[in-house]
Amino acid sequence: MWQNHREIKVVILFFILIPILSGCWDSKEIEKRANVLAIGIDKASEEERKMEEDVSHLGKKFPIPDEEMIKVTAQIAVPGRIPLGPQQPGGAVKPVLVVKVIGHTFQDAMLNLQQELADEVFLGHLRIIVISEEIARKGTSRFNDLLRRNPEIRRTASLVVSKETASKYMDLTPELERIPSLYLADIVDNLTAIGKFPPSFIGLFWTIYSSKGQDTYLPYLALKGKKTIQLNGLAYFHGDKMVGKTSPLEIGVFMAVRGIGRGGYGAFVEVPGEDESVLVRAVSRKTRTKVKLKNGIPHVSIRIQYESEIDEKESAKILLSDSDMLKKIEKESSKNTKKSIEKLIAKTQKLNSDIFGFGEHFRAKLPQYWNKNVKTKEKWSEIYKTITFDVKVDSHIHRVGMKSK
Amino acid sequence: MGDPKEITTLQATTILISTIIGVGVLPLPLFAVRAGETSAPFVTLTGILLAAIGLMILTYLGMRHPKKTIITYSQDIIGKWLGKLFSIFVIFFFVILTSLAAREFGAVVVTAVLRETPLEVTVIVMLLLASISCRNNINVFSYIHNFYVPMILAPVLIVVAFSLKNANSLYLRPIFSGNDIRDMAAGMLTISALFQGSFIITMIIPSMKSPKKALKASFWGILVSGGLYLLIVIATVAIFGPEEIKQIFWPTLELARTTAIPGNILQRLDIIFLAVWVLAVFTTLFSSYYFSIHSIKELLGLKDHKMLSYFILPFVFFLAMLPQNILHMYEIIQYIGRAGLLITIMYPAFLLIIDFLRSWRKKKNVAKSS
Repeated sequence: MWQNHREIKVVILFFILIPILSGCWDSKEIEKRANVLAIGIDKASEEERKMEEDVSHLGKKFPIPDEEMIKVTAQIAVPGRIPLGPQQPGGAVKPVLVVKVIGHTFQDAMLNLQQELADEVFLGHLRIIVISEEIARKGTSRFNDLLRRNPEIRRTASLVVSKETASKYMDLTPELERIPSLYLADIVDNLTAIGKFPPSFIGLFWTIYSSKGQDTYLPYLALKGKKTIQLNGLAYFHGDKMVGKTSPLEIGVFMAVRGIGRGGYGAFVEVPGEDESVLVRAVSRKTRTKVKLKNGIPHVSIRIQYESEIDEKESAKILLSDSDMLKKIEKESSKNTKKSIEKLIAKTQKLNSDIFGFGEHFRAKLPQYWNKNVKTKEKWSEIYKTITFDVKVDSHIHRVGMKSK
Repeated sequence: MGDPKEITTLQATTILISTIIGVGVLPLPLFAVRAGETSAPFVTLTGILLAAIGLMILTYLGMRHPKKTIITYSQDIIGKWLGKLFSIFVIFFFVILTSLAAREFGAVVVTAVLRETPLEVTVIVMLLLASISCRNNINVFSYIHNFYVPMILAPVLIVVAFSLKNANSLYLRPIFSGNDIRDMAAGMLTISALFQGSFIITMIIPSMKSPKKALKASFWGILVSGGLYLLIVIATVAIFGPEEIKQIFWPTLELARTTAIPGNILQRLDIIFLAVWVLAVFTTLFSSYYFSIHSIKELLGLKDHKMLSYFILPFVFFLAMLPQNILHMYEIIQYIGRAGLLITIMYPAFLLIIDFLRSWRKKKNVAKSS
C-alpha cells in the first residue's frame, strides 16, 4: 500500500519537474531571432530626422534636441543564408539585411528598429560597432550605457571609429569573407594578433574610460576604393570625446610606449653616411616606465628595448655584411624612434589625451602626490599637459633574413 | 540522535568549502572595491581573517561539547530558557540567510541569463531542490557536498587563470590607498559576512568520527575558500581596475564574460561559469536550509527533521520575495549580513567566555571540597 503511494508520488513529481527543469521558458528558435551582427552609428541628417515616429516617446517632449539625433544602421543575419562552411556555393543573395533607423538615443533607435522587424532583436552575436568620426568627436558615453546594461552584449565585441559615415561600412561587401560584419570584426582582431594594433575591444574601452589616469583609444578605419578597408590610425580620446588621430606608423610608436610586447611595424631608417635606407621591422619590445616628481612637476622616464629585423634594403649600394653596419643602423633607428615618440607624446599633451596611461603610474606609484594634487580624471588631464618626460630607446638588430649581404 | 557518526575530517572540510562558496562570489569584488578601492584585496583579507577567528571560536566551543550542537549546548551554558531564546534568533537568521541567497540567485538568473522566466520560478525551483535534498540524513548531506567541491573549484580557477593575461598590475597599487577607515571596516564586515555559512560546523562536529580534528577541518575549509575569494578579488581588480568594478553589479560574472579560452574554443566562459555557480548556490542553500531544519528539530526535541523540510518552505519563499528590487535586495543583504555577525561571531564568543568561567568555577569548587 505504502509502496504504491510512493510510486504515485514519484510519477507526479516527475511530471511536475519536466516543465520546470527543461528551461523552456526562454527558449527561442534561432530563425525567430533577428541576430544583429554589426551596428553603425551616424549623425542623422536633416531629412532623416523628419522620418522619426513616436515609438518610445510622444511628441516633442524629449530632453535631447533633434540636432543630436543619430542614425543606426544594423546588419542583421538572414536565417539560412549564413554559410556554415567554405564549400557552400556562393550565391548572389546577400547573407545579411541592412536596416537603417533613427532615434534620439541608442535604445530609442533600437526600439524603432524592433518596430520594423517581425523577429525579436538579439544582440548576443553583435561583433562590431562602428561609430563615425563625426559622432565620436561629440562623445561616445551616450551609447555605452545601453551596451553596459544589456546582458546580451559581449564584452569582447569591437568598437571602431570610421572616417566616412558608418552606414557605408554596413553596406560594404568585402570579398574575403561571405559575411561582411565578420570581416570587419576580423580586421580588428587579426591585426591585433599580428601586432598592428594594441588589444582593443569594448570591455577594454570601458575599463580605460572608467579609470582616472588614462584616456581611451580606438582603431580608426578608412575606406580604400569600394571594397577594402584600411586601418588608418589610432583615434584618441579626451574623456569620451575623440580629439585626434595618429598616422598608421604612429600606432607602432604608441604600442611601444604603452608597453605592448608584440611588434609589427617597420620603418625606413637612413643608413648613416649613405643616402640610402633600409626597412627595420620591430619584432618585440620591452618597455619600462618610471615616474617621479621633479621640483613638484610630474616626470616620466621611458626606457624601451627594441628587437628588430631588417626586412629590405633600398638599393644594392648598401652592404649589409658586417656587424658594424648593423650597429650604425641600430643607433640611427633608436634615434628616429625616440624622435617620433617625443613627437607623439607632445601631440597628445596638446589635446589633453593621456592614451599612454602615465596617470595610472602616478596614481599607483605616487599615491600621496595623487591624493593631494590630482584625485579626479579632469584634474589629471590638466596636469598631463605640463608633465615632462625623457625617452631612451635601445634597438637591437639580431637578424637580417636569409640574404647574407 | 539517530545519525551515525561517520563524517571524516576531509568530508567536514569539503562541506565547509562548498557551503562558504556561494552566491557571494559574484558581487564580492564590488563590495571589496567600494570599501577599499585599490586596497580591495587587503579589505578582503581582513574580512577572511575575521571570519576565520569566528569560525575558530565556534569550532573550539563545539570541541568542548563534542556531542551537542550550539542549539543544545547553549542551553547547558547559559540556562535552558535563555539558550532557547538565542537559538530562536540563530534559526531565524539562517532562515533569512537561506531566503536571501535564493533571492539573489533568482535576481542574477533573471537579469543575466533567463530573462523571460519569472523570478518566482527560479527561486522556488532552487528552494524545492534544497528542501527535497534535505530529507536525507547527515551522511548523504556530506556526500553531496563532497561530490560537488571539485566542480565548484576547478572552473573558477580556470576562469581566473585564463583571464590573467589581460591583467594590469598597476590597478592593484597602491595596496593601502588611505581610504576612509570606516568604509573599510564596513567592507570588512560585509565580506566576512559572506563566510557565515561556515556556522554549519556546529552541526557537523557531533557527527564527526573524531571531533578533535574539527579545528583542522575548519582551518583548511577557510583557507581554501578564503584563498579562492582573495584570488577572485585580485584577478577582477587587476583586470578591470577599481573604477570600472564600481560600475558592474557582478564583476566576477563580467570576468567570465570577458575571458576566452585561446584558440576560439570558447569565446566567452560565462555560461560554463554560471552552470557551475548554480551548483555552488545549491550547496550553500542546501547547507543553510539543512541547518535551519536540523536546529528546529533539536530545539523542539523532535526525533526526525524530514517533515520540517516542506514545512518551512513557504516561509523561506515568502521572505525571499520581500525585497522590492535588486538595489533594495543588496541593501538588505549587506545590512543583514553585518548584523548577522553578532549571531555568528559574537554569540559563540560570548558562550565560550561563559563556558570558561563555569568550568573554572567548577574546578575551584572541586578543589575546595576536596
